[in-house]
Amino acid sequence: MALTITGLSKTYPNGVKALKNLSLTIGNLMFGLLGPNGAGKSSLMRTVATLQDPDSGSIDLDGLNVLTQKDEVRKILGYLPQEFGVYPKLSSYDMLQHLAVMKGVTNKTERKQMVEAILNQTNLWNERKKALSTFSGGMKQRFGIAQALLANPKLIIVDEPTAGLDPAERNRFLNLLSAIGSNMTVILSTHIVDDVRELCPRMAIISNGELLLEGAPAEALESLRGKIWSKVVAADDELRALETAFNVISTHLIGGLHEVRVYAESSPGDGFRPADSGLEDVYFLSLARQAQN
Amino acid sequence: MTMFREFFTFELKFRFKSLSTYVYFAVWFAFSFLDIAAEGFGPIGSSNGKVLLNGPYANIYNDIGISFFGIIVIAAIFGTSILRDFQRDTVQILFTKPISKVAYLGGRWAGSFVATVFAFSGLLFGEFFGTLAPWADHARIAPNHLSWYLQPFFSIVVFQIFFLGSLFFLVAALSRKIFIVYLQGAAIFMLYLTGIAIFSARRSLEHFWSGILDPIGFLYHDAITRYWTVVERNTLLYSWSLGSANGVFLYNRLLWGSVGLLSLIALWRLFPMSVEALTARSSGKRAALAREQDLAEVAPRRSLVAAKLPAAHKVFGFATTLRQLASLTRLRISNIVHEVPFWGLLILMAGIAINNGHYAGRVGDQNVWPVTYLMLQSVEGGAILFLYIVAALYAAELIWRERDTHFAGIHDALPIAETTDWFSKLFALCFVELILLTVTGVCGILMQTIAGYYNYEFAQYAKELYLVTFPEVLTFALLALFIQTVVSNKFIGHGIVIGVFVMVPILFSFGWENTLYLFGNTPPYTYSDMNGYGHFVPALFWSIAYWLSIACLLGTISIALARRGADDAWPARFRLAAQRAPRLIPAAAIFFLAAVGSGAWYFYNSHVLNQYLTAQDRRDISATYERDFKKYEHLAQPKIIAVDANIDIFPERRSFSGSGNFVLQNKTAQPISQIHITNSQQSVSNVRFDRPFHAVSTSARALYTIYHLDTPLAPGDKLDLTFNVGYTSRGFKDGNERPELAYSGTFFDVDYFPTIGYDISVELDDPRRRREERLPEQELLPRRGDPAGSVTNLLSAQSDWIGYRTTVSTSDDQIALSPGYLTRDWHANGRHYFSYDMGNVKTLDFFAYVSARYDVKREMYAGAANPISIEVYHTSTHLYDVDDMISASKAGLAYYEKNFSPFQFRQYRILEFPRYRSFAQSFPNTVPFSEGIGFIGRVEKPNDIDFAYFVTAHELGHQWWGHQLVGGRVEGSNMMAETLAEYSALMVMQQKYGRDNMHRFLKHELDRYLRGRAGETRRERPLVLVQNEPYVWYQKGGQVMYTLADYIGEDKVNLALHNFLMEYRYANANDSRSGPYPDTRQFVEALRAQTPAELQYYISDAFENIVLYDNKAVSATVTPTPDHKYKVTLSVQARKMRSDGSGNESPMPLHDLIDIGVFSGKKDEEKPLSLKKVWLTQPAQTFEIIVDQAPTRAGIDPYNKLIDRDSDDNMVDVTKR
Repeated sequence: MALTITGLSKTYPNGVKALKNLSLTIGNLMFGLLGPNGAGKSSLMRTVATLQDPDSGSIDLDGLNVLTQKDEVRKILGYLPQEFGVYPKLSSYDMLQHLAVMKGVTNKTERKQMVEAILNQTNLWNERKKALSTFSGGMKQRFGIAQALLANPKLIIVDEPTAGLDPAERNRFLNLLSAIGSNMTVILSTHIVDDVRELCPRMAIISNGELLLEGAPAEALESLRGKIWSKVVAADDELRALETAFNVISTHLIGGLHEVRVYAESSPGDGFRPADSGLEDVYFLSLARQAQN
Repeated sequence: MTMFREFFTFELKFRFKSLSTYVYFAVWFAFSFLDIAAEGFGPIGSSNGKVLLNGPYANIYNDIGISFFGIIVIAAIFGTSILRDFQRDTVQILFTKPISKVAYLGGRWAGSFVATVFAFSGLLFGEFFGTLAPWADHARIAPNHLSWYLQPFFSIVVFQIFFLGSLFFLVAALSRKIFIVYLQGAAIFMLYLTGIAIFSARRSLEHFWSGILDPIGFLYHDAITRYWTVVERNTLLYSWSLGSANGVFLYNRLLWGSVGLLSLIALWRLFPMSVEALTARSSGKRAALAREQDLAEVAPRRSLVAAKLPAAHKVFGFATTLRQLASLTRLRISNIVHEVPFWGLLILMAGIAINNGHYAGRVGDQNVWPVTYLMLQSVEGGAILFLYIVAALYAAELIWRERDTHFAGIHDALPIAETTDWFSKLFALCFVELILLTVTGVCGILMQTIAGYYNYEFAQYAKELYLVTFPEVLTFALLALFIQTVVSNKFIGHGIVIGVFVMVPILFSFGWENTLYLFGNTPPYTYSDMNGYGHFVPALFWSIAYWLSIACLLGTISIALARRGADDAWPARFRLAAQRAPRLIPAAAIFFLAAVGSGAWYFYNSHVLNQYLTAQDRRDISATYERDFKKYEHLAQPKIIAVDANIDIFPERRSFSGSGNFVLQNKTAQPISQIHITNSQQSVSNVRFDRPFHAVSTSARALYTIYHLDTPLAPGDKLDLTFNVGYTSRGFKDGNERPELAYSGTFFDVDYFPTIGYDISVELDDPRRRREERLPEQELLPRRGDPAGSVTNLLSAQSDWIGYRTTVSTSDDQIALSPGYLTRDWHANGRHYFSYDMGNVKTLDFFAYVSARYDVKREMYAGAANPISIEVYHTSTHLYDVDDMISASKAGLAYYEKNFSPFQFRQYRILEFPRYRSFAQSFPNTVPFSEGIGFIGRVEKPNDIDFAYFVTAHELGHQWWGHQLVGGRVEGSNMMAETLAEYSALMVMQQKYGRDNMHRFLKHELDRYLRGRAGETRRERPLVLVQNEPYVWYQKGGQVMYTLADYIGEDKVNLALHNFLMEYRYANANDSRSGPYPDTRQFVEALRAQTPAELQYYISDAFENIVLYDNKAVSATVTPTPDHKYKVTLSVQARKMRSDGSGNESPMPLHDLIDIGVFSGKKDEEKPLSLKKVWLTQPAQTFEIIVDQAPTRAGIDPYNKLIDRDSDDNMVDVTKR
């Protein structure tokens, strides 16, 4: 499975340019899509999930034209939108049964096994008979994951899947995804950098509809090794001074003090000490560079 | 105070920023604008032609109507204002701040109140601008009076906004459930509707408590204005005084005003002002939640290692598509039936159906068996609105469900075809509708069982519900699905769907009547037990096929345009539609061809085979006829003296043909050279005379033809007129099928035969329609003594009396009848032939032909002169009234022969005909009697009024009053036929039921008279000068004749009638020159001759004037006497007024004989202890009456023998002193 996205552009009627000539190739692996809110991640994912058409460009999935052969794509697709609701008064078990039929699992036994397995995997087994509308945010999100993984999809698109999950459930979901993620294409969009670091052999950062970076997280990290410096300052004035003087990537609060991280080829000066580069630095640096251009 | 202002202005700002406020305003504006500007839109405009459109009565009525529909608006504004804080969770912020209860609730309430009053004020403006519309009927628009606008608006509308708004506000504040808030308005609306239906079905004449308890107004309106005459309707507003209509309005306002105040007090007392109390879940739910959390803590840790998911095979293909469709449909049905509103609607619908079904056996004034067509009419009538509401509501829910629940992201990416998805929505909707229809049918069968009617006609239920109604609802549902697909917002969609639903009848009433362009319209049809759906089937079938094809075409387009994915913009949807089109085009083409084909076939039948005429076209024809030929009205013409006809009826083709021969005689003093013939039914052809003649002119549609005789017809000379007569039904029409022709139950009369001269019955008589056609006011019947009118027969102007014989044939299995004695009955050529001959008995020129499949019941009655055969021809299942009709005939013959004169015939026949028309009509010895008013009557209690009995006696009475005695064509003469037949029937009824039971019947008669005069479109006439006022000649006439008999004695009245009949019957029967017919002057003279001098005033009052009484019992007390009797002291008031034709009243001096009575027993079941006639001369008088038993009731004119507008206050309870 390989997904080839070529020259995708999309402008919404209100003038927002969601995608700007975006090209991307995604292999048969888990692919992380990082970007701030409004970057165009969801637009891209919806386009791949056959839910909207671009103004121009093409998407090819192993010889399938995603834009015109939507029905074929849908047969192998598992999609979890960023926001979704549920029918009230229906139980997760019944709903998954129904969705399994929709996805072409017509054999009753297989369908039952599939639904039960997935309910177990998403830790919804005990709640399988409860109305979906009574689910908490986390439970609902797990249901969303369950339906996306239903019926052995070959292309899984999950938009912010870990939002709303507690740490244990997030781990479990990532485990599940990596367990089934072999021999299929998984596109995972998130703004949680750790999701990508932990899970994805390859990643891309997009912002304002443009591709900023595409590659393996490890490679990206390597390129920053020794170029991240940090300094802890107490006063806001000091922080403001640093911001004007240096290429500040990010600041964090540590016990009420500001830890400032700066990108520089060599030590930027007094009080800075070298810091380990993280994927987050890659992310912020990419965004900062785009902003400068 | 500032805080109050804060909330108040916030609420106002919110409302005035919201579109809905202006929509409500606009709707009320439009309604009241059209009430005035578009006659025929509102109830006032389309009813009485003399009530001002912007007068006080019209304003009051419109205000009440808008109050009724406004319940939902009031609920929407008041309910949501408080709910908003809970929906948007602003409570958390609000109630942590120090705000006062009064400021919060008061501000919200007051803001809602002002906004609602503003919304409703649209009706004031709409009405005002309506009066300015140049095209409105300005004959009915008076200069605008501010008080006519404001008094009703404040005392009805604003008052109702106050108490209903407060009530809704209270419920919303205490329940804080969106479901309740949205449903409470609809619930009150439906409950009220049901209450009104129950009340009216009980046919109660009670107007006091019902008026007070009515929150909306229709009942108190009826209580107050029931008998208002035109003058009163155009001048009076509701009075707040206790003296007006027993203070119903004041008490009503006091009651409901206190409901409003109590609601506000309850709100202030009960509303908790803390977040905790407001948002707390029920303790049970909290406990359950806590238990669950405890369980979760002890649950064993799950492994973090993910197991592999089992593999599943995915199969796609047609079988899968079917499974997907089934699963989706199931899901959608489950979505609907798992929600409370569906059950609410279902239960409400079943409730209304059951309620209506309970009253299915009450038709007008009679109790009948709830046969299946009546039961269906009742239960379906109650359910039909729900079927359409459900179609509109769930079409929207189904189309928008995925978007509303935000499930669209997942749903739209599933591998299902749009067609599958769309069909699942359609099937779910069909399923729900079929459930509702089945429940409706079950309610009907249930209510038939409860009513003791066990002749279940399941096939008729199935046909009506599943084959007629279901496709109609389906058509509408498909439209709603389409509209919801196209519009960008569910509520806009609802607006358009409701608009289409409402527009169809509105367009129809404006003369846009064509089924082919009124969406979903089908021509009217009537089920008859004689015929089933009969000849209505083809038009019904093809119109349903046509609209269903169009709806399916819309359905196909809906699939193409169905939303899928995130992009809702039209370019994207068209792109998707283009992708889907190739697979949809074949279906679209089929539906298109089906629509064109069925539409073309419908058009061919209704416009090509038949001439298509709207109501307006038909009125134009009448008006043109009047304009062109009225001038010939008094042209001397010969009269018909003999009729002979050969008629072949072809019931299976709804056609007949034949030839006829009239013998005409010149009964005038001059020679006649022109013969004018009116052919109002387009059924006459090939007219020829026994001497040389030529046609001078023929009008359009051959309606009026003038023939010239080469040699004039000399006075006294006779002339043979021969003609062909017939009518051939071709295909079907767009409604307006001739009711005279049916597969079983053909019934047509002399109207299909040539009319000699100008036919006044073609003229339009509604003054509004005449104004529209720019015709002058319709000419009245001439005064008594008019030279032309006096010598003209009232009932058949073209003839005096005729000899009649005919031969008629019909299909082999039917019986054909016409007046006269059967002289021959034979079968030939596979047909059934009958010859009838009247012999030497002269009859009116008034005959009919009837043919149907009949069962016959005959009984012989020994008449005064010869045996009389009483025969009832009925359809085989209608056995209920047959014996009753026969015994009524016998009782009538006995009474009439004894008191009036011998019956002139040897037979009296009653013939059932289909309920396409609802009347019974007396032809010589032959009475066609509609199945709509007889044959299924049911008498449960011995003193229930037996309507079939009454009508039979009335029609038999016409064999004397009409068929022996007929007046001239002058004012008043109609009463000598109708009033005397009514009186005759009342006397027969009295024989059956006894004097005491006549009271209830007469009270209904009095009510109908008083309502009749209130609805008069021209002017009321005194009884003996009556023109065309049925409520005068039936109800008033019957009442005053009955009272006269009570006052001077039944024998005296009968003697007067006998003398009058003997002197004037068969006027002109044997003369070769038409002489005068009797008129009501001679009739009054006959009555006066038998009336003692002191009671002559009653003849003047009751017959020659319009006189009303206002009699009232003020108080009655009882004290025991030493000799163990009871002394009742009774105070009464009595007033007498004379009214003019428009209802202007002037007082008259009182010197009247009036009943004073004391009774035992409770109200409505009184037994007389003392009943005496007393001369009253003072407006207030007190009587002392000694009775033997303990009295309970006492009063003046207790039996309502006199015409009294308030018949309820004539008696009071007797109290102990």
